[in-house]
Amino acid sequence: MTGLYLALALILLLTICVGMVRVLRGPTATDRMLAAQLFGTTAVAILLLLGQATENTAIWDVALIFALLTAIAAATFVRRRDIDKTTETEDQNDRH
Amino acid sequence: MIDLVLAFDLILMTTLISLAWLLLASRDLFRAVVLFIAFGLLLALAWTRLGAVDVALAEAAIGAGITGTLLLVGLGKLGSAERCRRTPRPTTFLQRLTPAVLIGIIIPSVTIILLLELRQLQIVSSGQQGLVLSLLDISGTDHPVTAVLLNFRAWDTLLEKGVLLLALVSIWSLDQARPLFHQEAPSPVLKGLSQLYLPILVIVSGALLWQGGYAPGGAFQAGALLSAGILLAILGGRSLLPAWYGMPLRLLAGCGLLIFILIAAATLLAGNLPLQYPQELAGALILLIEIVATVSIAVILAAAVAGGHPAEISATEQQQPPSSEGTS
Repeated sequence: MTGLYLALALILLLTICVGMVRVLRGPTATDRMLAAQLFGTTAVAILLLLGQATENTAIWDVALIFALLTAIAAATFVRRRDIDKTTETEDQNDRH
Repeated sequence: MIDLVLAFDLILMTTLISLAWLLLASRDLFRAVVLFIAFGLLLALAWTRLGAVDVALAEAAIGAGITGTLLLVGLGKLGSAERCRRTPRPTTFLQRLTPAVLIGIIIPSVTIILLLELRQLQIVSSGQQGLVLSLLDISGTDHPVTAVLLNFRAWDTLLEKGVLLLALVSIWSLDQARPLFHQEAPSPVLKGLSQLYLPILVIVSGALLWQGGYAPGGAFQAGALLSAGILLAILGGRSLLPAWYGMPLRLLAGCGLLIFILIAAATLLAGNLPLQYPQELAGALILLIEIVATVSIAVILAAAVAGGHPAEISATEQQQPPSSEGTS
């Protein structure tokens, strides 16, 4: 079973690497932010699997903290919508 | 199975190094902030892989809860012109290389060097572990990391509290805090989120604090979690009562260092070395320091996000950590 958990964790880590493309390409600030949010969820899953594979339950606490806290950066982002607007207009200017 | 572990570590390390490079080289500062959030996530994964769950907990709480918010708030204070760095003139030969060359040659070679170094670390990593474990019985706690941080090397932790306080003093000396967000009322979703999350964050923070006695956890992790709760309350539209701006806020921020110094003075007066606890009181003293330090760390971190000293008592539109969360 340990091998299966590790293989799944590896696949999830690869999905983070692929998701990094969205952070790098954008185009809008919201795309980048949401990709980072998705990484948070993936990291929770990876930590749960690693905790199960190594039988070190302390790792689950790290997963708990991530599950609780990744929403906060997104909440700040929503309250600062002006960042998104300016970045979008700048992106449009870039494309012209 | 070992191959899987090795593949996981290799990919994790390569991604971390590439991320570090990309976020430093990013011209769009918002992109750099998001990359930094992702970097924090993967760094916490790396710490768990290294077996340092205590550090991973702190990294998770700080990286996911505080730095993302801190950087986004800081970014909001910049004008849109400053948000994009201009392309600098290349000053080192590294900057003349194309991204493809960098990713193709430098990142794998750095990864390999780090891997070789890590291999060597494993051979000589026993360190002081045996000594700490043999003295665990008299330390007043069952977790080796807590025993080192709050008993054997408590002096370092005292100074760490001093550094945190100094950082806050420097921030306060720069500017007066301005409201973090627009005056418009926060959306009902945010209000609901903060109402739902605040009790959970306070409970988990208390659990982490208590858990520090026998498992990874402790004051810093609990404090960071609590300050995330305070930030969430600010996001939900709450603010600190103006009556708390003066002495109470300063006392809350300083109490972590203060209690350490008081205990150091008390142990000195009792004829011991500073912070050399009497054996039967060690557990209680450590718990006392941890509880006070948690509150103090939470207030300092949240006040750092506010980005300046509190307004005079007369001003009313100040946004600061709400008192109820700071003391609960």
